[in-house]
Amino acid sequence: MGRSEHAPVITARQAGLVGCRRCARAWPMGTQTCGACGSHLKSRDDASLQRVWAWWIAGLMAYIPANLYPMLETRTLFISQSNTIVGGAIDLASHGSYGVATIILVASVLIPIGKFLAIAYLAISVHRSDQSPGHPRQTLFEVVEYIGRWSMIDVFVVAILASLVHLGSVASISPGPASLTFSLSVICTMLSAQSFDSRLIWDQLDPQEDTTT
Amino acid sequence: MSHLPPEIPVTEARRSLWQRASIVWLVPLSALLIALGVAWQSYHDRGPLIEVSFEEAKGIHAGETELRYRDVTVGLVEEVSFADDLRRVNATIRVDKTIADYIDDDARFWIVTPQVTAQGVSGLDTVLSGVFIEAVWDSAAEGLSLVHEGQDEAPLLRPGEEGITMELRALPGATLTDSTPILYKNIPVGRIGKPQITNGGEAAVAQAVIYAPYDRLITTATRFWDASGFSFSLGPQGVRLNFDSVSSLLTGGVAFETLASGGIPITDSTSFQVFAAEKEARESLFNDNSQPGVNVTIIFEDNVSGLDVGAPVELGGLVIGEVVSLTGVLDPLRFRDDRVRLMVNVELRPGQLGLGDETGEEQVLTFLDTRIENGLRARLTTASILTGGLKIELVEIEDAEQDRLDYTGTPFPIMPSSQAQVSDTAATAQGVFQRLNNLPIEELLDSAIGFLNTATALTADPDLTQVPADVRALLGDVRGLVGSDEVQALPVQVASLITTISDTTTDLRRIAQSLEEAQAVDRLLAAVDAAGSAATTVSSSFDGVPELIQSLNNVAHTAETLPLDSLVAQATGVVSAAETLLRDDGLQALPEQLGAALDEIRAALGELRDGGAVENLNATFSSAQEAAAAIQDAAGRLPEITRRLDTVMVQANKTLAGLEPNSELNRAARGALTEVERAARAVESLARALERRPNSLILGR
Repeated sequence: MGRSEHAPVITARQAGLVGCRRCARAWPMGTQTCGACGSHLKSRDDASLQRVWAWWIAGLMAYIPANLYPMLETRTLFISQSNTIVGGAIDLASHGSYGVATIILVASVLIPIGKFLAIAYLAISVHRSDQSPGHPRQTLFEVVEYIGRWSMIDVFVVAILASLVHLGSVASISPGPASLTFSLSVICTMLSAQSFDSRLIWDQLDPQEDTTT
Repeated sequence: MSHLPPEIPVTEARRSLWQRASIVWLVPLSALLIALGVAWQSYHDRGPLIEVSFEEAKGIHAGETELRYRDVTVGLVEEVSFADDLRRVNATIRVDKTIADYIDDDARFWIVTPQVTAQGVSGLDTVLSGVFIEAVWDSAAEGLSLVHEGQDEAPLLRPGEEGITMELRALPGATLTDSTPILYKNIPVGRIGKPQITNGGEAAVAQAVIYAPYDRLITTATRFWDASGFSFSLGPQGVRLNFDSVSSLLTGGVAFETLASGGIPITDSTSFQVFAAEKEARESLFNDNSQPGVNVTIIFEDNVSGLDVGAPVELGGLVIGEVVSLTGVLDPLRFRDDRVRLMVNVELRPGQLGLGDETGEEQVLTFLDTRIENGLRARLTTASILTGGLKIELVEIEDAEQDRLDYTGTPFPIMPSSQAQVSDTAATAQGVFQRLNNLPIEELLDSAIGFLNTATALTADPDLTQVPADVRALLGDVRGLVGSDEVQALPVQVASLITTISDTTTDLRRIAQSLEEAQAVDRLLAAVDAAGSAATTVSSSFDGVPELIQSLNNVAHTAETLPLDSLVAQATGVVSAAETLLRDDGLQALPEQLGAALDEIRAALGELRDGGAVENLNATFSSAQEAAAAIQDAAGRLPEITRRLDTVMVQANKTLAGLEPNSELNRAARGALTEVERAARAVESLARALERRPNSLILGR
């Protein structure tokens, strides 16, 4: 098993400490309240995985209609058009706007799905006490948490268009049902990612292995 | 590591699953519930699928094309497929559950596509949004019917419209155009559907609809006609130019009118004919085969051209029938001569006579017979002065000969006729001109010129002008005689001879007058005779003078060529000559000289009376008596001259009265005649004065 280049890691728990997640001050195990900032101290969040899965499932459930229902409803004088996310992207691509289509596809399809997969992988790996190295998973988690908010770009576009283009009966754009479920889905996955206690990644690592390293 | 406390066996309290479960699980749970709820709701609200087949899809797209009822979307096409034999296209439509029960067997479906016609543009919104399927059904929910057959055309009665549908059948000359309006008093009250040719190919028919509430205007007595454009006709009624509506001029259209009372309201799908023009539609009441007309034959004595088949038969100005045929008839047995008469067969409409549609032929003929006994006759009258067309008029002629309807007539009962009342303007005008042309204008003027020439020659005759001089010479002689010594010496016997002298002076006066006119008399008589004959000619040729006025053109034309100038000049010459003659000093001085002579005679006689030289007088007086007798004889003819002159004057006046009153010729001639008349009067008055007082000449009073 190839080792990573990272230095061996000893967790605070192994060191008999509990770290404050707000002010990052370490306290002896068992301390209930952070003496510095007063926040509740807990070595590991027991319900973390539960919450991750709950939000994850809710996010996935919201994501399905977000792709099936139209995201944007465009009404001009005579024509009324509604596009789903993927349909809109394909439409744009067929009109030659490959760049915009790519952005939409990446922000609205690739990233959410990647997030789902990443969170699920992290949760499963923690649950199974996977022995895979912790550093890549930590990086993955950080990336997921950082990038999650960018999925809202599609919703923002819809919101801005809907508020800008209101020309009465001549032309109007209104958000479709998918915009609601899609933003719900994004919110749920962000909450899901946030619920994940990344310290769990390191608990399952074999101390021997760690020590041998 | 050494003083680690011993592992405390921590037996974590086994919390229940419920206790361990995070509250966050409520989020996916509620999401699931919502999703399930939405799914169930949408499934539950989902309407049934119906299948509508069309001839062609015309732009129907699955998932896009909507089904609309009263322009509200009530369904969506989910699938477009072919029927089994590829003959039709099936559109599978998901309809709203709420209206599904109304889509029963009477529902009709059609595809709305943009249409640009002369009536306007319809379905414009479908240009960009794509076509949609429109449906109509009644308001009775009779259960969903799943399979329908779509129609090619929109039904005439759209959803929400009420009215009555009927079938229009175009007669020759009439045009039925799709979607054109049906006009009543130029207001669109209905619409024509798509025209089709009947199976036999004999006519074009179209469904039409009259919208409520105008549908009650339609009865069996309603007639439709093609109102498109304008019509121009020239018939017995004159020129007729008919516009209905400018819009229908462009788009076409059908108008209608209920032309007779008594029609019964129609039911749906009654068939009507569309006539080419309003006139035909109105006339069609006569051609209604459901009411056979009553045929009557009329024979006219006058054979007047201008009557045509189709000419109206009128009673009191109302058209009650029309001429169906006309022919000449030659029937020596019946009429007892060989003249060709005009036989007209007319068809009378009992309905138009006011007898009701149900009246039988017998009743109509009986009615006619009664009226004929009261003097009803058929006669030809002018229908139009312009075209010279004729019509037949049934009028009651007062004190007409008793007559009856001849039931034995062939081919139909014969109705008695009366003298035609035809104002043949053309013939009259032509006759006027004909008679004008025949007037002997040239001869008349030649005669007048001759007359005036003669008159001029007469008055210019030196003999005539010589007369006064002769008289004067005579008087000079008399004066010389009187002044002679022998006469002067006769005063004594004068007293006894006064009476004789008186007679003698009368004779002297007459001889003077006679001498004055002696030579003129014959010539005057000749002239007067000539003038008289001329006047007779003129007056006889002027019988037609009243017509002369109408031929002014011709006359004027002829007159232009006449030698009027010379005529007038001659007339003026005559007049001036006459004036000269009459104003002659000698003539005017005649009485004075006579008076002077008589004065001298008187003086001589006075001397005679004093002197008493009577012996020579006897011889003198006897010769004077002879002369006086001659003078008396001549003077006796003066009244005759006067009378003849008067006759001439009368005739000349008559002649001139016929002439144009203001013409130059007339004025000149009249002037001449006046002068002649004045001369005649002078002569006459002189004669009268002498007759009354024979001694005035001698006595000077």
